[in-house]
Amino acid sequence: MEKAKVPIVKRPLFSWIFSDNAKLQILLLFIIVVTVFARVLPLEMQKRIVNEAIFLRKIDMLLLYCGIYLASVIIASVLKYLINLLQNFIGQQALAEMRKALYHHILTLPLSFFRKTQPGLVVSSLSNELAAPSDFVGMAVGVPIINVLTLLAFAGYLLWLNPLLAAVSLSIYPLVLFLVPVLQKRVNIINKRRVEAARDFSGRIGESITGIHEIQGNGAYHIENRKYDGLVDKLRKIRFTWEAYRAAIKVTNNLFVNLGPFLVFILGGYLAIKGRLELGALVAFLSAQEKLYDPWKELIGFYQLYQDGIVNYKKTMDYFDIEPEFALEPVDRKPYELDGSLDINDLSYETDTGIQLLEEITFSLKPGEHMALVGFSGSGKSTLALCVGQLYKYTGGSIRIGGKVISELTKRDMSQNMGFVSQTPFIFNGTIEENLLYSCAARIREDSADLDDTLPNLDDMISILQQTGIFADVLRFGLNTILTHDKHKDLTSTIVRVRQNFQRDFGEELSDYVEFFNEDKYLYHSSISDNLTFGTPNTVAFADVGLIKNEYFLNFLKESDLTRPLLSLGSELSKQTVDILGNLPPDKVFFEQSPIGPEELDEYKSLVQRLKKKKLHQLSAQDSGMLMEQALRFRPGKHKMVVLPQILERLILEGRALFKEKISKDDPDAISFYDMSSYIFSQTILNNIFFGKSTTALPQAQEKINQFIIQLLIEEDLLETIIEIGLQFQVGSKGDKLSGGQRQKLAIARAFIKTPKMLIMDESTSALDNKSQARIQNLLDTRWKGKSTLISVIHRLDTIKNYDKIAVMKAGKIGEMGTYDELIAKKGMLYELIGKK
Amino acid sequence: MNLSAKNNESCESCEFDESLKILREIPFFSRIPLETLKVLAYLCTRETFKQGDYLFNQNDDDGQAFYIISGNARLTHTNGGDEQEIRDYAEGTFLGGLTLMGNMVRLFSMKALSDVTCLILTRDKFSRVMNQYPDLMPKIIAALISAIRSWEERFLNASDESCAACKKRIGVSLA
Repeated sequence: MEKAKVPIVKRPLFSWIFSDNAKLQILLLFIIVVTVFARVLPLEMQKRIVNEAIFLRKIDMLLLYCGIYLASVIIASVLKYLINLLQNFIGQQALAEMRKALYHHILTLPLSFFRKTQPGLVVSSLSNELAAPSDFVGMAVGVPIINVLTLLAFAGYLLWLNPLLAAVSLSIYPLVLFLVPVLQKRVNIINKRRVEAARDFSGRIGESITGIHEIQGNGAYHIENRKYDGLVDKLRKIRFTWEAYRAAIKVTNNLFVNLGPFLVFILGGYLAIKGRLELGALVAFLSAQEKLYDPWKELIGFYQLYQDGIVNYKKTMDYFDIEPEFALEPVDRKPYELDGSLDINDLSYETDTGIQLLEEITFSLKPGEHMALVGFSGSGKSTLALCVGQLYKYTGGSIRIGGKVISELTKRDMSQNMGFVSQTPFIFNGTIEENLLYSCAARIREDSADLDDTLPNLDDMISILQQTGIFADVLRFGLNTILTHDKHKDLTSTIVRVRQNFQRDFGEELSDYVEFFNEDKYLYHSSISDNLTFGTPNTVAFADVGLIKNEYFLNFLKESDLTRPLLSLGSELSKQTVDILGNLPPDKVFFEQSPIGPEELDEYKSLVQRLKKKKLHQLSAQDSGMLMEQALRFRPGKHKMVVLPQILERLILEGRALFKEKISKDDPDAISFYDMSSYIFSQTILNNIFFGKSTTALPQAQEKINQFIIQLLIEEDLLETIIEIGLQFQVGSKGDKLSGGQRQKLAIARAFIKTPKMLIMDESTSALDNKSQARIQNLLDTRWKGKSTLISVIHRLDTIKNYDKIAVMKAGKIGEMGTYDELIAKKGMLYELIGKK
Repeated sequence: MNLSAKNNESCESCEFDESLKILREIPFFSRIPLETLKVLAYLCTRETFKQGDYLFNQNDDDGQAFYIISGNARLTHTNGGDEQEIRDYAEGTFLGGLTLMGNMVRLFSMKALSDVTCLILTRDKFSRVMNQYPDLMPKIIAALISAIRSWEERFLNASDESCAACKKRIGVSLA
């Protein structure tokens, strides 16, 4: 845990300056003192060169003084760079520390905070707003000290040279010191507004990305654009004013500082003419005065940075200055192992705005008892589940798990003993396995090797996958994996062996659903290019993308009289597809059965326009290329808008034989032809077992295929291997490559696999079909009853009969509670509820 | 958009044209303009169910509408474990207009009596298309209403005394 006891949001900005970098800051100080000395030295040399070396005409003195001058200038530059480096290092370190600490803090904030906070706002706070404060931390020691010291040194030197001149030229600075803060006050006010506007701005972006379905579904682009554009303009205006004031400070400062030489010329010139000032001293005075500007400007810049930094820092920290509702880790003890009994006594929950969501809730469950929570939506079922799960902090009464009051348990205690499946479970980007083990991995800490927390092994995972019914999905992911040459050598040779057994045992039964690779038959579910090459390309030139530019292949098409019929097919395909899909948005679903991808549609639209005016032979090379690309992609089994002409089919089959003959002679390594005795690396494991392709997407057929394949895999002892591969399936961002049902099953598996003493399921089977739902219910009844206490929020009432207790909720209270039979016999609320559904 | 589907040489017998022809003859789709119907026809898939397979199952929400292109299928209802035959359907039947409109858990099952080839449209695809043409929804609803009304009208006219008890429960079109 963090060593600092003070939460980040309460830390003053100044505390960052020395906390982690005391040694570095001291080193910085030391370098600064040397630097100041190295900066003043040239001035004295300058004076001596003029007054002593030149005046006394001594070359050796000139060389000595110039040498010292040169050395100190170089040293000053090197040191300056060193200072920058150190400041940068300290600043970046502070930034990283602030980002980490703030992020760690934000994750612990109550759920209610996130309900009203846009993700975009958090992102911009963490990424943008902390930059100025951390820059300030980096410079906080170095810049003021070096510049104040330099100023003092130069001022002292000036006073020593000529007190009168010095006093006059230094008199400007107090004036600036008065003016700048006045302007800065305005800047700060505007900067506060800027932080808020920037927050709204990022919040809006976050909202529209999250709600993109609604926006596209309603075609509400203009509404969102208007809202967003308004915020951008607001931010633009504020930023403009902000920058204008900042620039005003700089300009004012410059103006006054530039008045310095003016005063020196007038007064110094007069004194020199009168012979009361040496010329060398005037030169030295002038350049010393000039040297005041840089440190002074830097000081003013630093002042601005300090002001911006403190505004940004405070605004950001204040926004997140909320206490976590529960302690994270137990102090001086191991996490509790609770027994799963639940006692709720006079529980109530009231929102910040005073709305009473739960009241007078009292009941208890013995360890292992199962309770269903039912009732109308809005009756408080989910709220109660969330309170028991310690996700909401109840406001009155008490909840005890295993005799311990929940509000005093740490998050760690809860995660050790409880599994929670939420209504809309979140699936993280990563593999199935990572998601499945998420809850177990979360229990493991570096510092708790004594807790006997090893991750479940493959057998445990397979058992949970089977119980929750996601096994078949994972198997399918495994079967649909394309293996690579280097990794799975042993597996590929096994699969080739399995393939022969498959064809012998199941080939006939599955022939309706599979199109086998057969050298003499056309493959309706493969592209024309696959039909021609009939193998796996070993070079990019013969892969799908390369083929269209491959001279050798294009020449082959010409020689075998395929070019024109293919172009004509490509033209028909393009026309038909554009005709059907031309006005549709780039939704993936619309383009699944189309050879033209959503991103290519516009190009093909204009190509189709040209096709209306021109004959095929008049087309440009690029246009013909596009048509050829369409034709080569064409799969008659999938792209139904055009039929493959009989004659072309025959030509392609002849072409296949011709191509094999030709390429075997010219470039035998270019393609590995489909062959019963070798693994096809461009195809999935399933297609390799089939030695063909599945021709149907029908669930019923898929299930049949699955049964055969599982039987085969068990016989061949491959099932675990394939599941292991399937577990590595990448689920995509938010699990978007999984269906709603798969996501829910995975979430249930994720909670089950840690075998918690207490399970809370919040309508967690709502996206499942009836069979899967019944399977989960059956699992709960047989495997979990008596072992884990369960609270299940249920919307569909057909699964509640076997629960030990049913609580019917109404308007935040428990209306009635009892077994199914008791409540039905009573003809009360449950009876009414079931009647209505 | 033109009617090129009609004079498309390479598509004399292609599935897309056949599907389009079928959709045009289904009353549920009858008020949808050709342009949109083409998209729907393109999105339809053709599947064959083996004899004895189920097209859909009671208590499932498969979200699919079926048009039987060939074969026979039997509608059944299971009540407390025993399966009752309701009636048989032959080619030319369209089932599932309501399924396309919104969540609908099946009250019946349908089993293929022979190999059955169907045209299938899913609710997901249908609703995505309808989202693109929101002004068509009233037309679909109108077609649906008239179908329900004429169903009850037929029922009223056809049912004789033997179903006096049923008459007590009629009135779907009043819902």
